[in-house]
Amino acid sequence: MAGQAIKELEHTARQIRRDILTMIYQAGDGHPGPSLSCADLVTALYFSAMNVDPADPRWPGRDRLILSKGHACPAVYAALARKGYFDLDELPRLRSLGSILQGHPDMLKTPGIDFTSGSLGNGISAGLGMALAARINSLDYFTYVITGDGELEEGIVWEAAMAAKHYQVGSLIVMVDYNGVQSGGRIEEISGLEPLVPKWEAFGWHCQVIDGHNFAEILTAIDNAKAVPGMPSVIIARTVKGKGVSFIENNNAWHKRVPTREEWEQAMQELGAEQQ
Amino acid sequence: MKYASTRVAFIESLAELAERHQKVALVCSDSAKVVRADEFKARFPERFIDVGIAEQNAVACAAGMASCGLIPFVATYAGFITMRACEQVRTFVAYPKLNVKLVGANGGIGAGEREGVTHQFFEDLGILRTIPGITIVVPADASQVGKAIKAVAEIPGPAYVRIGSGRDPVVFDTDLPFELGKIRILRAGGDDVAIFVNGHTIPRALTAAERLQDSGIKATVVEVHTLKPLDTEGITALLQQTGAAVTVEDHNIIGGLGSAVAEVIAERAPVPLARVGLGDRFPESGEAEQLMDAYGLSVTDIVEACRSVYARKGGRSA
Repeated sequence: MAGQAIKELEHTARQIRRDILTMIYQAGDGHPGPSLSCADLVTALYFSAMNVDPADPRWPGRDRLILSKGHACPAVYAALARKGYFDLDELPRLRSLGSILQGHPDMLKTPGIDFTSGSLGNGISAGLGMALAARINSLDYFTYVITGDGELEEGIVWEAAMAAKHYQVGSLIVMVDYNGVQSGGRIEEISGLEPLVPKWEAFGWHCQVIDGHNFAEILTAIDNAKAVPGMPSVIIARTVKGKGVSFIENNNAWHKRVPTREEWEQAMQELGAEQQ
Repeated sequence: MKYASTRVAFIESLAELAERHQKVALVCSDSAKVVRADEFKARFPERFIDVGIAEQNAVACAAGMASCGLIPFVATYAGFITMRACEQVRTFVAYPKLNVKLVGANGGIGAGEREGVTHQFFEDLGILRTIPGITIVVPADASQVGKAIKAVAEIPGPAYVRIGSGRDPVVFDTDLPFELGKIRILRAGGDDVAIFVNGHTIPRALTAAERLQDSGIKATVVEVHTLKPLDTEGITALLQQTGAAVTVEDHNIIGGLGSAVAEVIAERAPVPLARVGLGDRFPESGEAEQLMDAYGLSVTDIVEACRSVYARKGGRSA
């Protein structure tokens, strides 16, 4: 991909990060760390990889995204608003009574949300269903799932991994937002997720490990995944929880926290226009 | 007593639907044998999905399929759908109002019979009744299952149909229609007590009504095959007509038909009530009819329940 296109994606991702923190600041609730962590993956999907039409959010032939780590929805809400699925004015109403932006993604309330999520571990399984439906309906869309790393502790993840291999669903592409930290602390201190790559490979998946904040790597990995026929793909994206804001990065106090005015201003400065 | 398989009735009805509608699919969790799906699999290989012994995956996967316009039927044992995959049913099927149909086998202790508690499911209806937006049906027998499957396929959104063991008593003539959401009076004109009943316990309720007739108590017997949406109007009218109610079901007396009728009674037509069913305890292995006799569902249990509510409403002791 050309350098200019990468620069534009980086520019968009900074805007989405500003949107994430601004909506959480204005709404007074939300998960900054997990949202910032996957902001580049979400940006790469909506602004480059995915074939979607904001004017027709339910177009049957569209590519689909399931945000299995539903608590990171501010990242997707910002991307959808910036794509034009709904007005930017909706963002500050996040988590408010009557808002189209629920605390976790709701496919009936938010244009562009392809699947309800938030209860961890279920996204790959639903994505398998979408990929099987593509086959049954003779459509050639891709189904993307962004899953957290902590939620890979759920048993249903591996039920879905087994079945996806069995059904050879090449149109299913899972991205693991591997920031190494779950709600309660560091994954390696809570659960034995590693060795992760051999796990996926043993389950019969095409597996890549990339820097989840490097657009060239993200887009190349997606292209590779799409090119593998008859085999589900997982992209393990090494990420930094809270990426982009110095005092949020790798600080799990920001798993769920609202910035003060000063913190928000500093974050806006760090994510500001002068970096463009 | 004649028997016919509710499981075969389900799969035959589904095959007819699949023949007519390209969107109909079957999702199993190593339950193809349970629901006799070999022929379906051979006829519609693309639309037969077996995810293995993984009920959570079956339900969430079906939800994903339904989000793309398919009408997946998830069929396996009732408890594995409603307990193992309960959250997937609640959050990914019911909440997004997805068009997933759930078919639960071994509904009730009589259907689970010799398998024992692990495969006897008497909580399914209570669990699902607390989740918003699921149509819940307990058909009486095989031919009613066939019609109920078609009825729930007609309506958009989540539905649950309870089926049995495969050796299920024939309750009705096969030409009897099925109307979703409406109670059906099976024995009319009894003003002394109303017996609300569903599923394979219907023959017992009818026998009990005969016995009561012999001793001078006239019972109306009413089938409540649709637990949700409940025919509240129809039930209220019968409560007002009879002034006493007994519920009969192969389910825990907590959560199912007994609770549903109790809610109507408490809010709309207070009358004495007795609930006949499994009395909030675990059963054991045994032959179906013997099990139901031993665990509170005997004809005598129903007769006694009717006598007691009749006495409580002030009727002469009979």
